[in-house]
Amino acid sequence: MAYHSPYKAPPHINAPPDQGFLWNIFQRVDKDRSGVISDSELQQALSNGTWTPFNPVTVRSIISMFDRENKGGVNFNEFAGVWKYITDWQNIFRTYDRDNSGFIDKNELRQALTGFGYRLSDQFYGTLIEKFDRQRKGQVAFDDFIQCCIVLQRLTDVFRRYDTDQDGWIQVSYEQYLSMVFNIV
Amino acid sequence: MAYPGYGGAPGGFPGQQQDPLYGYFSSVAGQDGQISADELQRCLTQSGMAGSYKPFCLETCRLMISMLDRDMSGTMGFNEFKELSQVINGWKSTFSSYDRDQSGTVEGHELQQAISAMGFNLSPQAMNVIMRRHSTNGRIAFDDFISCCVKLRALTSQFQSRDTSRTGQAMFGYDDFIQVTMSL
Repeated sequence: MAYHSPYKAPPHINAPPDQGFLWNIFQRVDKDRSGVISDSELQQALSNGTWTPFNPVTVRSIISMFDRENKGGVNFNEFAGVWKYITDWQNIFRTYDRDNSGFIDKNELRQALTGFGYRLSDQFYGTLIEKFDRQRKGQVAFDDFIQCCIVLQRLTDVFRRYDTDQDGWIQVSYEQYLSMVFNIV
Repeated sequence: MAYPGYGGAPGGFPGQQQDPLYGYFSSVAGQDGQISADELQRCLTQSGMAGSYKPFCLETCRLMISMLDRDMSGTMGFNEFKELSQVINGWKSTFSSYDRDQSGTVEGHELQQAISAMGFNLSPQAMNVIMRRHSTNGRIAFDDFISCCVKLRALTSQFQSRDTSRTGQAMFGYDDFIQVTMSL
């Protein structure tokens, strides 16, 4: 097969967390006790290891992934999904941050994305870092790493929608191309 | 800031030193004569290229570099900077001709007209996608307009390079698609 959907989460080695444990976390994060965790509450609860606020674009993406009611936040039921999603990403990040620097550099990024099934030119990893590295360190922190992977996933999803015979090629008109891409980049 | 007068900085081709743009450029560029997105932002702000509009945000500057970044270095040399400033001036005058109330923003239908005036032939549906991405409350600020123009220009040229016989259709392989769109 020419390509496949990358990062399904790695084999789940953790047992699902118990409800009591999750509820404790939920309550701590839901500071205004509204029963819904908002973007800003989630942002405050997450760390990217740099003492700067977690990427708000990434926070928005994560909330919108799990907010089934379009309310702009997640309730307790939806929060279980958020918790697992972030925990899975933490595990992935730790796996590929081989020197334990708290950042993923160009080489580590190459290994991670190759591990996920992407085949990208060497030069391109530099472009990715340049594009997503908000700390201007030449490496990506945890939140920017997630953001990079989310965008790659969205592009993959839109490509697959057009690749009806799944051969890794699409033929599109100018208009289709613009609509596909403008939504995402 | 370096004053680009006679007998100024050594090197450079004849006439370059008298170009006022060179002064702004060289005051932020290092020894390698290249500027990064942050430096471009400073340079554009200092040279007043945004005119009376708000200065460009860092993400827009990064986009501008990638638009002209033929060697994928993530930086821009002086010639590219000159090219960029001409392009920006063109876009700026288009924008201000639609910003009739001088609010620093234009409305959705004005964006559509501006984009057509620049030669892009897009359907209302494609325009809607673009609008959703770049507008706030139905209005587009100058920085967002520039961002939109950069993407349109880059995407159009990517598409055209794959539609050499001008059929209006292009083929993309998956790996290529990812790299081309992510390099924006």
